[in-house]
Amino acid sequence: MTIPERLGLPHAGYGVGLRNVHFAHILNHNPAVDWFEIISENYMDSHGPPRYVLDQIAERYPVVMHGVSLSIGSSDPLDMDYLRKLRSLADSVGSLWVSDHVCWTGIAGLNAHDLLPVPFTEATLRHVIERIRIVQDVLERPLVLENPSTYVTFARSTMTEAEFLTRMATEADCGLLLDVNNVYVSSVNHDLDPQEFIRNLPHERVVQFHLAGHTSYGTHCIDTHDSEVIDPVWDLYRLAHELTGGASTLLEWDAKIPPFPVVHQEVLKAVDRINHRLTPAETMDETPPRPENGFARPDEGTATVPQPATMISAEVE
Amino acid sequence: MPELSAAGESVEPQENPRELAIIQQWFQTVIMHPDGVTAGVDSAEARQQIDISPDELEQVVTRSAARSSLQRMEVYANAYYARLLECMGNEFPALQHAVGEEAFGGFAFGFLQQYPSSSYTLAELGSRFPRYLKESRPPGEGGSPWWMDFVIDLATYERACSEVFDAPGPEGEPWLTADNLAAVPPEQWSSARLRLVQPLRLMTFDYPVHDYVTAVRQGREPAAPVQAVTRLAVSRRDYIVRRNVVTEIQFELLRALQQGLRLGEALEAAVTAVPDPQVDLAAELGNWFRDWAAAGLIRGISTDSDPEPPTEPAAAPKQD
Ligand SMILES: [Fe+2]
Repeated sequence: MTIPERLGLPHAGYGVGLRNVHFAHILNHNPAVDWFEIISENYMDSHGPPRYVLDQIAERYPVVMHGVSLSIGSSDPLDMDYLRKLRSLADSVGSLWVSDHVCWTGIAGLNAHDLLPVPFTEATLRHVIERIRIVQDVLERPLVLENPSTYVTFARSTMTEAEFLTRMATEADCGLLLDVNNVYVSSVNHDLDPQEFIRNLPHERVVQFHLAGHTSYGTHCIDTHDSEVIDPVWDLYRLAHELTGGASTLLEWDAKIPPFPVVHQEVLKAVDRINHRLTPAETMDETPPRPENGFARPDEGTATVPQPATMISAEVE
Repeated sequence: MPELSAAGESVEPQENPRELAIIQQWFQTVIMHPDGVTAGVDSAEARQQIDISPDELEQVVTRSAARSSLQRMEVYANAYYARLLECMGNEFPALQHAVGEEAFGGFAFGFLQQYPSSSYTLAELGSRFPRYLKESRPPGEGGSPWWMDFVIDLATYERACSEVFDAPGPEGEPWLTADNLAAVPPEQWSSARLRLVQPLRLMTFDYPVHDYVTAVRQGREPAAPVQAVTRLAVSRRDYIVRRNVVTEIQFELLRALQQGLRLGEALEAAVTAVPDPQVDLAAELGNWFRDWAAAGLIRGISTDSDPEPPTEPAAAPKQD
């Protein structure tokens, strides 16, 4: 049986991660964004303004739910209450699909609120596949899992991340969210070839791409989501686009968030990048310090948080 | 890295079904350890899972060309506290302003060890922070500086704001007007029931925390806190958290009404709680109700002769 491109899911175009600093702009200006991705946990239990805003946005735009607490790789039992709430939010906003990460967030009932790495072993693979099946049964829609940025690898791993993702997606029959920035970050951190990573994935299962900026410290990178996408990541994006035939593309910007039009413009660069290969000279000229928007990179002394948490704080008179 | 793969191969063949749980419990213990990765790896709790010394870390976590296993693990350890500290600062900006970033970091650091998150949502993270601050203050008179009372008040108020902000709210419901109030015949007032806004939190503080919080949120330098018993009705209107300062007798009256008592009974309860309200109740009551209706605190009024009063929002017909 041949698998249709993107598992048969739609190509939603070029979207932006919904962040509360942009709520007012979006509601007032109706920007021509193809779609929005929301952090599921920020809305699942909300009865206040976040949910009110989301309902209006979901009326105007396609929405995809992206979670950070599924913890598909944890050895703790799946949280069925969480899954039911996820399902109910997906039903009510008409989420095109539901995504999360190939990671674990905690064990023994705790949540570190981080995307922690799993060892790539047969045991992990079997565990994750079994859980994906359960999640897809509850959600009754495809689960799409993302490769996170990672900062360690385990001595016990017996396969590459690409092999793990390929076997996982194929055997559990789920989709992949290919974060090309995470591929770049992890490849720098683990001395790997990012192109080989992308070439070795099951391309027909890539439902969505993530793009984001990160912080480089020379010896390693941190996935800070606080800046523009760098050229080597755009190159990986173009490669992934060619291999997959294209998929819904989303820009994540979670720290030092600029005004909405800047974020939107950043994802629209994807269209140019697909069609236009930069010459090596252009690439070199354009890489660091990116002065045009005035968002300086943090230096080594600044605390930089990987995948900064997005939470919505109260508005108080 | 030939020496690493050699070490990996020597333990690979047999597969322990609990292997994933063991490595995850170990990893979590190490990155959450308050004294850092080296202390974490060396802790009894971690060694119970994987018995290696910090020097042997590469047996579990491989190094990269440029970075040691320890440096690589430190990314997760630093991120754990840094990320959650940032979230705490977002939820408690006035408290952070009051004590300064360093002391706030200390409070949050201690809190995260005492009450690590056990919820899928960060919205729950700060829920036990006021309790932690109360529990961690030294007992007895003079056991802690005066400002701990203020700090606890601030934490309690800022947390209440978060909860009121995201609770089911009154937006979209009709308002109670002065005309609605005037339409109630005088003889029916004492048996009338007032429906108060949801959410409504009636809270008492030792300091005027609301002024402090508002100043910080507006980017102004708040005045130094001066002790003054402060009673607040914290609610929401137009998706923004609102607070009304109320007197002691008003507070008791609102509390009785919130419990569902009829107005006559509620007044009796309030006067019992505050025998000397220092106000002419009969003269003031009408003004209070008008003010509270205008502030959106009273949302409906029903009398016995009016089983389905027009000021109540029409209930949606049941579909099932
Ligand atoms: Fe991502």
